[in-house]
Amino acid sequence: MTTSLETQLRSRAHDLLAEGVVELFLGYRQGSNPLRVAPFVARTPLETAKLVWNAVCVPNLAGTLAKHAGQRIGVALKACDAQTLRELLKLNQLERSRLYLIGIGCEGMANPEAITDAAPGRVTGLAEAGPDLVITTADDVVRRERGTLLLTKCATCTGMPTDFCDEWLGEAPPAPPTVPAERFAAVQALATLAPAERLAFWSEHLSRCTLCYACQTVCPLCFCKECALTLERDHPRRQAREPMTIFAYHLMRAYHLADRCTGCDECSRVCPEDIPLNLICRKLEQDRSQV
Amino acid sequence: MSEPFEPKIVGLLCSWCAYAGADTAGVSRVQYPPNLRIVRVMCSGRVDPLFVARAFEHGADGVLVAGCHPGDCHYLSGNNYAEERFAKFAQLLDFFGLDQRRFKLAWVSGSEGARFATIVAEMTEELRALGPLELKVQ
Repeated sequence: MTTSLETQLRSRAHDLLAEGVVELFLGYRQGSNPLRVAPFVARTPLETAKLVWNAVCVPNLAGTLAKHAGQRIGVALKACDAQTLRELLKLNQLERSRLYLIGIGCEGMANPEAITDAAPGRVTGLAEAGPDLVITTADDVVRRERGTLLLTKCATCTGMPTDFCDEWLGEAPPAPPTVPAERFAAVQALATLAPAERLAFWSEHLSRCTLCYACQTVCPLCFCKECALTLERDHPRRQAREPMTIFAYHLMRAYHLADRCTGCDECSRVCPEDIPLNLICRKLEQDRSQV
Repeated sequence: MSEPFEPKIVGLLCSWCAYAGADTAGVSRVQYPPNLRIVRVMCSGRVDPLFVARAFEHGADGVLVAGCHPGDCHYLSGNNYAEERFAKFAQLLDFFGLDQRRFKLAWVSGSEGARFATIVAEMTEELRALGPLELKVQ
């Protein structure tokens, strides 16, 4: 690789904006610390200097994209974002002709939590060096293989849809791999339990749920203007947090996503109580693959 | 000794077949348990799984959705939609560990009063054995 993906991305975004091909370019900017990035919309060629591309570009850009529907937008896409975007296009939430898609040869994103586990202390820097990630903390430098720090969704990535993007940066896309069996290992384990044990499992996790609806807010495929499931902040049922109210919410959320969830795991990423919501996503995905 | 447990069942019955079936059961004086609370809807296809989830949330121990036999729908295909929807919904109920016997989808025609009574009686029996729907807070 001659120039880094980040440099290539910045220059392409700069050119696209300068030539007027797109009005906005959507990517990531650095967040509050080296392990955080935030979705960022560049509106002028100058602003593209703020774009970053590193090993923790986890948030799904497809949801942010939907908020700017109607404008001509360029966007840098990982495989998982592309899959979500494909669903949004299928559901007529965006117009393909108004989008300029740059596929990125993503090698899988690192889990910020795995990084802080590998390098305790305040992380001050994160760099890529070949297959390794170099993590700098206040008093140490740790080198770890990228493969060992990946998010679970990335370790079992199902690949970029074929013939989807307008252009490519980085490695040419490999053929979409067959879905690895490990992707469904956790769901399979749950399915072999007796219903009562499954109920106990979910009761334990869901009893932590505060019905904050972060999972629903972040979900790129939850796009109804008004939601039939969510309750007002001061609603007595929400205040009471009866277990069945929480079950009903998660059950219905799963039902509404049954035909579309692409397993981007944004729900479990943002859950402040670390409820394994991604298990629900995997379950939906598994069921659909068996139809 | 406390009262024996009596399940509460919410019945969402289609106006053209299942509700008429319940009516036939009544007119023919067929006995069935009084545990069922009936809500009449225009079609089983009108029943959103959300109604079922809400029924559980508000204290139902079981929910019965009943409509016309496949092919007999007054609106031609409403019950086919219901069947597809609730197949998925039942899968998810099971995934969350909620007993699938608490939810039942049945086809009852307007003349099948006795069949309606049997379905309700069976479901009540099952739920009596199963006990109330109570989720424990950990």
